[in-house]
Amino acid sequence: MSVVDAALVAGYTVGDFLLLAAAGFTVLAIGMLYRAVKGPTMQDRVLAVNVLGTNTVVILAILSAALSEPTFLDIALVYALLNFLMAIAISKFTVERGGVL
Amino acid sequence: MTVSGFASPVAAQVTAIEASLLAFVVLTALATALARDVLAAVIVFGAYSLGMAALYTFYRAPDVALTEAAISAGVTTVLLLLTLAKTTRIDHDAVFEEVNLPAAGAAGFLFAGLLLTMGDIPAIGSPDAPVWSNPDVTQWYLTETYAQTHVENTVMAVLAAFRGFDTFGEAVVVFAGGIAALIVLHREVFA
Amino acid sequence: MSDDVDDTDMTDTTTDAAADSEAGASADADSDLPPHRAAPRSGRLDSEERQGTPYTESQVIMPTVKIVAPFAFTFGLFITFHGSGSPGGGFQGGAIMAAVVFMIAFAFGIESTRDWLANTVVVALAVGGALAFAGIGLVPVALGGAFLQYDLLPIPILDPVKYGMEGVEVVGIAPIVSGVLMGLFFLLARGFNSEGSGFGNGSLGEDGSIDETGSLEEDAADAGGDR
Repeated sequence: MSVVDAALVAGYTVGDFLLLAAAGFTVLAIGMLYRAVKGPTMQDRVLAVNVLGTNTVVILAILSAALSEPTFLDIALVYALLNFLMAIAISKFTVERGGVL
Repeated sequence: MTVSGFASPVAAQVTAIEASLLAFVVLTALATALARDVLAAVIVFGAYSLGMAALYTFYRAPDVALTEAAISAGVTTVLLLLTLAKTTRIDHDAVFEEVNLPAAGAAGFLFAGLLLTMGDIPAIGSPDAPVWSNPDVTQWYLTETYAQTHVENTVMAVLAAFRGFDTFGEAVVVFAGGIAALIVLHREVFA
Repeated sequence: MSDDVDDTDMTDTTTDAAADSEAGASADADSDLPPHRAAPRSGRLDSEERQGTPYTESQVIMPTVKIVAPFAFTFGLFITFHGSGSPGGGFQGGAIMAAVVFMIAFAFGIESTRDWLANTVVVALAVGGALAFAGIGLVPVALGGAFLQYDLLPIPILDPVKYGMEGVEVVGIAPIVSGVLMGLFFLLARGFNSEGSGFGNGSLGEDGSIDETGSLEEDAADAGGDR
């Protein structure tokens, strides 16, 4: 019986609240998606997808805690490392339409 | 594996995160298909992979989520951007493509037809689902993997040992993909 | 919208290099260039051969990649080697290690990375991985068993089944995936070779379209002959 399974309020465990928090972060990600799709300039989209990546890292970490699976943190680490790659790739691409690649 | 989410007295939280993740994935997929600018489509496709990785993680498929993370975030976006760098850009005023109504109708009919089969699909996480409860495949792998191969990751044991010949074929397919890219691009060396 | 540049012709690097070296020389004179277009540094051997890509000198990206790349590469190795006890395996680890090379290429210039990571390395990774996988599979066949029958592998002391699988993941799948992905990256960065000097169709004529149709017909004929 870990901390995640401890009951807090009215039968809701800590894990349930963590999952609820992850759902809240996902709703925020949908809000950020508006900027990624609409975003008048490419810089808006780059920033939006970078924030989305960071948001996903948080969601994955929360899921790892809520599901009591510590190995799921590997996925969050991979995303944290490769989201950086995606950000610099897109941002360098937008400088001169790939002229600097 | 613990199933703390499913065993909770109220399943509303599970539904909440599932619903929000699915909404995110469907919205990003639609935006990818409809985006007028190709670079915007590539960027939104990166966001789609973020949602899919979280969804796979939630459904406790960490190997698939890790593959999605490594391939989508690290490789696919970069390769698509490099390909885009070889193209010219056409200016668009509209954010979205105009929807082709016959194509949308055909996709809608396909979607409706698939939706009709939803009633026969067992619930996610149900212990009675055939993919989980059959004693000859899934349960056999889960019980026999450690005894026969001495590794803890059943997915890897299935890939490398029980289905090792298939994996060899997949590796050769990846290799052949590299050769095919050489031929298509009229090159003789990679670097 | 950053829709300013139509210069997508990446093939004529000589004219670009000449133009940019001129731009760098004039930057010393009147220095009215945009701030991201810094003059090429003198004294560096490769500063003129980098087709005048001033953005690769970014003071933010280069040190960050210098710090992040070793950790990311180590994590790729961890994913590969620890695939038997945690999520992951050769495919994912190889993809992460290839992504580290992409990261380095974006920070320090693709052409410099192409020179640093020679074609030999990429090909050796892909071909060596495929041969190693086939070799591990064929050793039990030589010893009278089935393909990939790990318990016949002649591994002393250690558990042959577990370490045979690890061998397939580490020296088989991971090098294939990372090598092929790096090769695809460099290939796509260089683009289509329109001069027709690719596989054996260079003598068909100087026109690219003629080459194209000729090679396609050859391929079709070959495919039909194989069947």
